[in-house]
Amino acid sequence: MSGFLRLLLNRLGISLIVLVGVSMLIFAIARIIPGDPARIALGPNANAEQIAKLRAEMHLDASLPVQYGHFVVDVLRGDLGTSLYTNRPVTQDIAQFLPATLELVFLAGFIMVAVGLPLGILAAHYRGRWQDHLVRVIALLTVSAPAFVWAVILMLLFAFYLPLFPIAGRISDIYDIERTTGFLTIDTLLAGNWTAFGSAVHHLILPAIALSLSGIGQAARLTRANMVETYDKPYIEMAQAYGFFPSRIARSYAFKPSLIPSLTIIGLDFAAMLGNAFLVEAVFAWPGLSRYGVAVILRKDLNAIMGTVLIIAITFLIVNIIVDLMIAFLNPRIRYSTRGTS
Amino acid sequence: MMKNTALITALCAATALASPAFAETVLRLDEVAVGELDPAKASDYADSILMFNVYDTLVLPAQGGPGHTPHLAASWDVDGATYTFTLRDDVMFQSGNKMTAADVVYSVERMQALGAGLSYLFAGVTAEAVDDTTVTLTLETPYAPFIASLVRLPIVDMTLVKANSDSEWGEDFLSGNGAGTGAYSVTSHNPQEETVMAKSDSYFLDVADVAPDTVRLRYGLEPATVRTLIAQGEHDIASQWLPPEVVQALANDGAQLLTESGTGGFYFKMNTQKPPLDNVNCRLALSAVFDYGTAIQMIAINDEVSGGSPSTGAIPVGMFGANGSDMVQTQDLDAAKAYLADCPYDPAEMNLEISWIAEVPLEERFALLMQSNFNEMGISSSITKLPWALFAEQVSTAETTPHISQLFVNAVTGDPDTLLYGMYHSSTPGTWQSPEYLNDAEVDAALDAGRSATSDADREAAYSALNARLMAIAPTIYGFDRQSVFAASNRVNVPALSDPAMAFGLDGMGFSFRLMEMTGE
Repeated sequence: MSGFLRLLLNRLGISLIVLVGVSMLIFAIARIIPGDPARIALGPNANAEQIAKLRAEMHLDASLPVQYGHFVVDVLRGDLGTSLYTNRPVTQDIAQFLPATLELVFLAGFIMVAVGLPLGILAAHYRGRWQDHLVRVIALLTVSAPAFVWAVILMLLFAFYLPLFPIAGRISDIYDIERTTGFLTIDTLLAGNWTAFGSAVHHLILPAIALSLSGIGQAARLTRANMVETYDKPYIEMAQAYGFFPSRIARSYAFKPSLIPSLTIIGLDFAAMLGNAFLVEAVFAWPGLSRYGVAVILRKDLNAIMGTVLIIAITFLIVNIIVDLMIAFLNPRIRYSTRGTS
Repeated sequence: MMKNTALITALCAATALASPAFAETVLRLDEVAVGELDPAKASDYADSILMFNVYDTLVLPAQGGPGHTPHLAASWDVDGATYTFTLRDDVMFQSGNKMTAADVVYSVERMQALGAGLSYLFAGVTAEAVDDTTVTLTLETPYAPFIASLVRLPIVDMTLVKANSDSEWGEDFLSGNGAGTGAYSVTSHNPQEETVMAKSDSYFLDVADVAPDTVRLRYGLEPATVRTLIAQGEHDIASQWLPPEVVQALANDGAQLLTESGTGGFYFKMNTQKPPLDNVNCRLALSAVFDYGTAIQMIAINDEVSGGSPSTGAIPVGMFGANGSDMVQTQDLDAAKAYLADCPYDPAEMNLEISWIAEVPLEERFALLMQSNFNEMGISSSITKLPWALFAEQVSTAETTPHISQLFVNAVTGDPDTLLYGMYHSSTPGTWQSPEYLNDAEVDAALDAGRSATSDADREAAYSALNARLMAIAPTIYGFDRQSVFAASNRVNVPALSDPAMAFGLDGMGFSFRLMEMTGE
């Protein structure tokens, strides 16, 4: 069995255990949140009989283990129940809202990597010079304010004072695009509608930048620190002594080993964006899963809470597995070290 | 010169030919909560907006005054507890099906079966179709405001529902689709984003061309987003839940302010079962010490428009039994001292718990004002922030209900019965409306008289007596009569929210899109 396959199976096994643990934990926590879900679902005018009837239908009068058993059986049948918030199957809600969040997070992640890593490399390369100082100030600035603050600032600057970008929704009202994948940038292309594609991208830019800014700062700072440490290694000095070009030293000898810790953090940042997207989605009226998740928690919509958390947990685990595989690709020692643990 | 003029004329003519004769008009508005499309589950403001536009009811509130006018019903007769309605015979559902008495019966039974929203208004009602255009609704006991309740009975297209759903009541279908006779049909419904509605071309009443062609009701927009959207010209009517500062800023930027009033109030509800508020003199002292004038200033948008008007008593001005507008409540420290002297509890040890609902930040300001007022009399208190879900749970028992709860309450049918009965009748304790846990025989008698009286004069007398009794025993501090304020662009005229003579006196009905006018600005 190859090292990669072994690593993959190892991570999948661990992920499954984590998933079961997360589901049990969230199942318990969701039931501890104050408020009777049946009372909230039926509205303020429901009487005691109606509340009791719905509680029975939702198995809320049974013990926690029995309730969890019902939940697991339903999940294995692909049924996450009905959301009391939207009155629709939770699977339908997730299918509608998840692509919106993923589209936002993918672009934010891309911006984070495309801007953060080069900034870090630049700062390390010009260590102690004005370029380094400038990058460090930018990194500090972006890290020190949370995404929703950036969202409001960007909205004020580029929508209120300079009306350059739209601030609500995913696409202009004038387009009626058939939702094939749920990713509007893809669906508009599938429809062959380039102006609609432009509109979808236009709507994505501000929220994606707002979401990515703190990640950019973090990636830049981490990459710089790792690269600076690598530059102090003897083999770099040796390469410099041999007269290799600085760009070759940076690309071939300094960047790759520096990338591994950065990659781990970027992977975690990327997954964390799913949760952090909530406030950005709220500010930009982005109909995504994060906003849905918070709304259902506030309404104690048990089925929807479980469905949302499970999907976010699964996405988190998938991203982590991908990062682990990438790190293993970059560093064979990790790839082969799994022999001892499998 | 001639050549240029000819060229410009030709270009103008070409442009005119290329442009459609009438550009489609789009109205964009927002609400905080997701709108519930199923009319049997409708209860809050967003639900009401959807319901009043997608569906119709047998009667409508009269505009600019009391009473009700025929709508789907051409006329009605009352015989004791039996109401016989003659339906219009020219009403078609948006599906093309004809509206008949069977649809009315189905709508009543559907409300009762689902037991959600405001279905309690129709508990015990027996509906029977006499023929296609005649239906009788029989009550278990006479109920004077029943006609008013009918504004909450939207008529559903039974044939369409049964054709599109396997279940008897079609919850799955109606949660995402419309099945009404209304002037607007549902084009799409995304609970996380918006509901889009289009003007129906088969409505049974005339709808002006200037009424919006398409309406986009957006959900959950942040105040900063709403302000920017209106500044960008991409939003028309903001929800009433914007902070006063944002409404002020929008008004300063040129937005018009629409208002809706006369349906409810803002109340500080005192738990009459919990010491020291189980004593009437203690409650009267708190009522007298509250600074009503400052409370009104806190919700003022500008010199002319405010989020409320001074309270004159337990019943909002404009309803049966309300005191005259000259009887405004004011802070009276001397009276407060006198009541406090007769209160058997030590003010320093009262430690009153003043709660506010976490989702309504404005209430924290009122809690701080109240605490400051109490401090002037040496009354100790603490402030508690409660999420709505936790509040609804806590008020289910008197022991866990805070001393003082702040609530906006409105009459869901426009009739005082739906405002006051749920708050004060001893048979309805332990709901979000009744954290007072009041148990007073005189109040019960007045409320029952208000329900059973058949003439307006008798109802006026019953509610006047109720008002006087409630002021005497002070279960509640009546903060102010509520007025909802909506900031709006100048692209739309809304007579029902700007002209008192056109107002409906029912929350949400001012948003009847068919009565709105897009100005083309």
